[in-house]
Amino acid sequence: MAESKGLSWALDAYVVGAAATPDSRYFVCSMGDGTVCVLDLTDAAAGFKTYDIHKGGSLCFAPDIEAGAHLTGGDDGKLIKVALDGATEIVADLGRKWIEHVTTHPETGFRAYASGKEAFVLGKKKGDDPRIIKLETSVGGLAINPKGKRLAITQYNNVNLYWLAAKEGLPQALTWKGSHLHVTWSPDGDYVVTTMQENALHGWRLSDGQHFRMEGYAAKIRSLSFAKRGQYLATGGADTVICWPFTGGGPMGKAPSEFGGILNGPPVTAVLAHPKLDAIAAGFEDGKVIVGQPGSTRVMPIVTPAKDQEPSAVSVLAWTPDGDRLLAGTEAGDVHVVDFRSLS
Amino acid sequence: MTEQIPVTVLTGYLGAGKTTLLNRVLSENHGKKFAVIVNEFGEIGIDSDLVVGADEEVFEMNNGCICCTVRGDLIRIIGGLLKRKGKFDAILVETTGLADPAPVAQTFFADEDVKRRTKLDSVLTVVDAKHVLQRLEDSPEAADQIAFADVLLLNKVDAVTPDELAAVERKLRAINPFVKIHRTERCAISLDKILDQGSFDLNRIVALKPEFLGDDHHHDHGEMKHYHDENMDSVSLSTAKPLDPGKFNTWINDVLMSKGPTILRAKGILNLADADARYVFQAVHMMSEGAFAGPWPAKDKRNSRLVFIGRELDAEALKLGFASCQMA
Repeated sequence: MAESKGLSWALDAYVVGAAATPDSRYFVCSMGDGTVCVLDLTDAAAGFKTYDIHKGGSLCFAPDIEAGAHLTGGDDGKLIKVALDGATEIVADLGRKWIEHVTTHPETGFRAYASGKEAFVLGKKKGDDPRIIKLETSVGGLAINPKGKRLAITQYNNVNLYWLAAKEGLPQALTWKGSHLHVTWSPDGDYVVTTMQENALHGWRLSDGQHFRMEGYAAKIRSLSFAKRGQYLATGGADTVICWPFTGGGPMGKAPSEFGGILNGPPVTAVLAHPKLDAIAAGFEDGKVIVGQPGSTRVMPIVTPAKDQEPSAVSVLAWTPDGDRLLAGTEAGDVHVVDFRSLS
Repeated sequence: MTEQIPVTVLTGYLGAGKTTLLNRVLSENHGKKFAVIVNEFGEIGIDSDLVVGADEEVFEMNNGCICCTVRGDLIRIIGGLLKRKGKFDAILVETTGLADPAPVAQTFFADEDVKRRTKLDSVLTVVDAKHVLQRLEDSPEAADQIAFADVLLLNKVDAVTPDELAAVERKLRAINPFVKIHRTERCAISLDKILDQGSFDLNRIVALKPEFLGDDHHHDHGEMKHYHDENMDSVSLSTAKPLDPGKFNTWINDVLMSKGPTILRAKGILNLADADARYVFQAVHMMSEGAFAGPWPAKDKRNSRLVFIGRELDAEALKLGFASCQMA
C-alpha cells in the first residue's frame, strides 16, 4: 500500500466520483463496481460503509440538491439518489442507455444529467418532467455556472450554454472545431473553459466573446479546477501542475506557472482547488498526491506510491468544505483521507 | 504496466451473419468474458449488462491530418467499460454494415487513454458468400471492410455451388491477398481462429506474404507483386538488400503523408542496414508505428517485405521509391 499522511483503504473498485457533505462530516464515493461507499469522519477508523446501488458500474457522481444525499448515474441507465444510510430513490431510468454525466446546483435546486446525445434538466419542483435537450453529437461534459443560472454542455465542435430556468429556447453556441470534453466555469462566471480530445484547452470570455487556446500538454487533460477566487486555473495533462493566470484580462499571451511533479515523469490526472486557501491538491498517474501553490517550490507530499505496487492513476480528489480534509481515490480502488489539522 | 484488454472489431454488411457470430461469442462457454459494443441491440439474444449500444460518431482530430479520424463514441464507451475492472477479459466492437473501419482502428492508436488500456487485436469481417459480389457492386464500404480485414469469415458457403464459392474467394483475394479466410456455415468456427490474432501487434507481424501463395519456395531477388481489382489495389514489395534506415524513414513518411488517404493498411518487416533485429512497421492511412522486434530467425533470409492495400495505388512509384532505399 502507498504511504499516506492519513488513513488508507483498498476498496478494490475504480473510484469514479467523490464528494464531502456540506457539514464536512462525511465523504461519499461512487465506484466502478456499482457501489457507493460512505465514510463517517467522526469515526474514520471504522472505515467505509458500502452499499450496492447499480447493477453495473457508476459512471458519474455529484452531490444531490438535498444536503447529505448524492446522485450516481450508471451503465444500468439509472440516475439514483443515495442517502447517507444507503437508502435509494430512482431519479431517472433510461433503460439500456448509460447515464454518463451529472451535475447539480444545490442553492438553486437544478440537476442536469446526460446520456449519449441527450441532456436532461430537472428543476426543484418534484414530479415535473425533465426538460430534454437533444444534441447533434454526444455530450462530453456538463457544468452549471456558479450562480446556478446557466448550463454548459460540451459536444463535438462546440459548447452550448442554456438558461436553466427556460423550458425551451436555443442555446448560445461557443464554437471551436474538435471534440470538447470536460467543462468548467470561472468563479465570476465570465470564463468557460473546456478540455479537448487533443491535448489542449479551449476557453471563452463571455463578456466580450474573446476565445483562446491553451496547448503544449504532453497528455490528455483529465481534470481542471479554478482557484477559489478565480485568480488561476489549475490543470492536469502535464508532468507538473499547470496553472494559467486569469487575473488582468485572462491567460492570453501569458505563460502559466507550475508546481510539483518530476520532469518527464507521470502526468497529473486530477487537480482540485482548496475550498478556502490558495492551494491546489494534485494527483498523478502513478498514484502520487501532493498539495502546493503555483510558483512555489514548497510542495507537501500527501500520498507516495509504494515501489512494489502496480501504479494506479488518481481518478478523484475531494476536499471537505471546511478545507480540513482531503480524499484521494485511484483507478485501482485505493482511497486515502488526510486530516490537515493533524499535519501542522 | 497496466494489462491491456484485447479488442476485436467485427465488420460486415447487414445480413452477412455478424449477429449470429455475436450471439455465439456471448453464449458459448469458451472461458472468456466479453464486453460487446453493438450498433443495434436488435437481434442480440443475450440480455447482459456487458452489451452496450453505440452510435457511430466520427471525429476529426485537430492535428492537421485530414484522414486522422476517430470514433468518439468508442472512446466514451471504452472509457466507461474500463471503470469496471475485472468484469471482462476482452472487448468485441460491432460496426454497422456501412461503417468505415479506419476510424475504428485509428481510435486505438490516436486516443491515449484507449491506447494505454486496450490493444486492437484484429479486424474480423463477415461476408455472405451468396451476396458479397452484389454488395461489392453497389456499396464501396463492402470493399473497404474486406480490404481492411485481418480475418474474413466467408459465411453461408452452403448457399452457393463450389464453382461460385471459388469465384467469390478469388474476388476476395484480389481485394485483400493477405487476409486469412475461413469458410463457414452459420458462422460455425472455433473462436480461437478469430480471437487473439495479434494482427496489430508489431511483435507478431512475422510473416507477410499473400495467403494463397503458401510458403514461397521461389527465389527472392527483389520483386514487386501488384494485385489490381476494380475495388482495391494491393502492392507487395520485397528485397534481399538491406535498407538504408534514413532513406527508408524519409520515403515511407513521404508516402504516408502524400498518399495516406488512399492507403488503408500497410505492414512491413524490414532489414535495416547495421541492425541485427527485424524492424516491423504498420500503418492505417497516415497513422503509423514501428519498432525493432527481436532478431531474425537464424534460418530465415533477411528479406525486407512491405505491403500496401489501398485505392489507386501507384505500384511503379512505390517500387521505385522502395528501390531507392536499398543499399547498393
